Amino acid sequence: MAELINKRIGKPHFQSLRARETRLAWSLISPTALIVFGLVVFPAIFSIWISFHDIRLHNLNDVFHAPFVGWENYSKVLQDFAFKFQGWQSWGAAVTSIVYSFTATLLTLIVGLIAALILNQPFKGRGLARAIFLIPYVAPIVSVAFVWRWILDPRASGVLNDVLIQIGAIDLPKAYLATRGLALLLIIIFEAWRYFPFAMLMILARLQAVDNTLYEAADVDGANTWSKFWYITLPELQYVLGAIFLLRLMWTFNKFDDIFLLTGGGFGTKVLPVLTYEFSFRLFDFGRGAAAAMILLAILIIFMLIYVSTVMKNVEEA
Amino acid sequence: MANYHYSEEPTNPYRHNERQNIIMHLSHWITWPRFILALTLTFFLTGILFPFYWMVSSSFKTYAEIGGRRPVYIPSALRWEAYRELFDPANPSFQNFGINILNSIKVSIPTAIVAVILATFGAYAVARLRFRGKNILLNSILLIYLFPGVLLIIPLFAMIAQIGAHIGFDVQDNLPVLIVTYLAQTLPVALYMLANYFRTIPSEVEQAGLIDGCSHMGVIWRITLPLAIPALVSVAIYTFMIAWNEFLYAFVFLNDRALFTMPIKINTIFNDPSPRPHVVMAASTIMTLPVVFLFLALEKYLEQGLTAGGVKG
Repeated sequence: MAELINKRIGKPHFQSLRARETRLAWSLISPTALIVFGLVVFPAIFSIWISFHDIRLHNLNDVFHAPFVGWENYSKVLQDFAFKFQGWQSWGAAVTSIVYSFTATLLTLIVGLIAALILNQPFKGRGLARAIFLIPYVAPIVSVAFVWRWILDPRASGVLNDVLIQIGAIDLPKAYLATRGLALLLIIIFEAWRYFPFAMLMILARLQAVDNTLYEAADVDGANTWSKFWYITLPELQYVLGAIFLLRLMWTFNKFDDIFLLTGGGFGTKVLPVLTYEFSFRLFDFGRGAAAAMILLAILIIFMLIYVSTVMKNVEEA
Repeated sequence: MANYHYSEEPTNPYRHNERQNIIMHLSHWITWPRFILALTLTFFLTGILFPFYWMVSSSFKTYAEIGGRRPVYIPSALRWEAYRELFDPANPSFQNFGINILNSIKVSIPTAIVAVILATFGAYAVARLRFRGKNILLNSILLIYLFPGVLLIIPLFAMIAQIGAHIGFDVQDNLPVLIVTYLAQTLPVALYMLANYFRTIPSEVEQAGLIDGCSHMGVIWRITLPLAIPALVSVAIYTFMIAWNEFLYAFVFLNDRALFTMPIKINTIFNDPSPRPHVVMAASTIMTLPVVFLFLALEKYLEQGLTAGGVKG
C-alpha cells in the first residue's frame, strides 16, 4: 500500500516523509497509549460488562464464564437502603453524594476566590504566604485526614472539644465525625480546606491577566472596592470559575479516600464511591459494585451535559 | 535639596505623629482594607498551619500527654516515644515502619522514572509530529479525569487476576502491579505537562539538528531533553508525589503487612484497637515532611503543573 502511494508520487525508494512521521509518532506514543488504554479505557468499558454479571471472589479468576444476570445488579443497588432516599433522616448515597459534592465544590470555589484576592494584593511575605497556602493540596491525604480526626477527637483531649469547652460553647465533649449532619458538614469543610489551593491558583493566574486600565477607568468614575469587584473582577473571572467548578465537581463527586478515611462512610456520609467500595470489597459482590459505579458515572455525565449545554454556553455568550 | 525639604513637609501630615508613638503610627497605617486583609490572612494561615503544627507536635508527645484530660498545646520536651515505637525493634509494640518507608520508595521512584521516560517520548510525538488520530488519542487519554478510581479498580482487579492466572503472578501483594496501575494514573498528566513544555521550545533548534543529520531520537536526546530539564524534574516530582500519597489502590492490592506502603500502614496503626494518636502522627510526619519540603523548595517550577491538572485530586 505504501509502495503504491510512493510510486504515484514518484519516490519509489523512499517511504513518504508523512508516513514515516506517523510511524515514528505512533512508536513514540504507543507505550503511553497502551498503558492508558489497557488500564483506564478498557477497564472502564469492561466494568459495564461486569455490572451485568454475577462476579464474586470464587469466580474472580474466571470472569468470562460468570453468569449473566441482566439488570439484577442495578435493581439491587437501586433498592438498597444505603442508596435510596428515605426521608430527611436518611438521605441515601445518591442524594448525599449530590448534596455533598455541590456544596463542597461551591465552598472550595469561594474559599479559593478569597485566597486568590488576598494573594493578589501586594504585601510583605506574599511569596511565602502563597507557598504556605498550597500545602494542604500537596500533603498526603492519609496524614491530613488523620490530623483532622485527631483535632476533632471525641474525647475531651481533642483540640476542638477543648477550645469549645474553654470558651463555653459546649459543656460536654462532642463526637463531631460521629454525629449525623455535623459529620457531612465537616467533610464539606475539609474538602474546601484541602482543595481550595487548586481554585486559588487558577483564579490567581486569571486575575493577573485582567487589564489594569479597567480598574483605572473605574477609579476615575469613582467606583468603590465592592463595585469594582462586582462589575469588573467577577465578570472577568466568569469563565475560569465555570471551568474550575466543573473540574472540581467531577473530582469531588468521584472522591473516595477523603470520606473513607474521615468517617468510613458512616453517620450520613456514605457517598456513591464509598458504597461502590463496600459492595465490591466488603461484600465481594463485584457485579453490584460495578453497577453502583456505573450509576455514579451516569449521574456525573448527565450533570456534565446539563452544565456544559446551559451554564458554559451562557458564559461563552456573555 | 532645600527645595525638596520645603515641598515634602506639608504633604506628609502624619510625619509629626509618627515620631510620637507607635500606636499612633499603627492607627494611621491601619485602614479598613488593610485590617480586613490582615485578619483574613491570619485566619487562612492559622487554619492551614495549625493542623500541620498539631501533627508534628503530637508526634513528640508521650502517651501520657496524648491521653490526658486536656490537650498539651506545647510539648514540654521532644519525646521520641512514638518514633521509638516505629523504628526500635526493642520496643514492645514495634511497628517496623522502616520497611514501609522502603516500600513507598520502591513504588514511587520507579513510577516517577518510568513515567518520565515514557511521557517524554509520547510528549515529543504530541508536540512535534503530525499524525492521524492525534486528537482522538489525546481526548481519550483525558477521559481518565472522568472515571473515578473506585470504578476502575473492580475491572482492573478482575483483569489482572485473569492475566496473572495465565502467566503465573498474583494481583495482590505484588508491588510491580501497583507500579503499573500508578503509571496509568500518572502518565496522562505527565504527557500533558511535558507536551505543553515542549511546545515552548522553539522548533527551529530541533529542525537545525535534523538538518545537520541527527535522527529524531538523537534530537530528543541531544537537544530537547537538555532544554526541558526543569519540566522533567517537575513531572518526576509530581508522579513521585502521586505514587507516594496514593491510598485506594494500595489498600485494595496489598494484604501482606511486609509489603504495606506508608499510607496503608498508617491506616492500620490508626485502626489499631488501642488508639495511639502520637504514633499515627509520627508516621504521618515522616510521610508528609519530605513531600512538603520538596514542594516548597521547588515551588517555582511546580506551581504551573498544579494548574495544568498536575495532581488529580
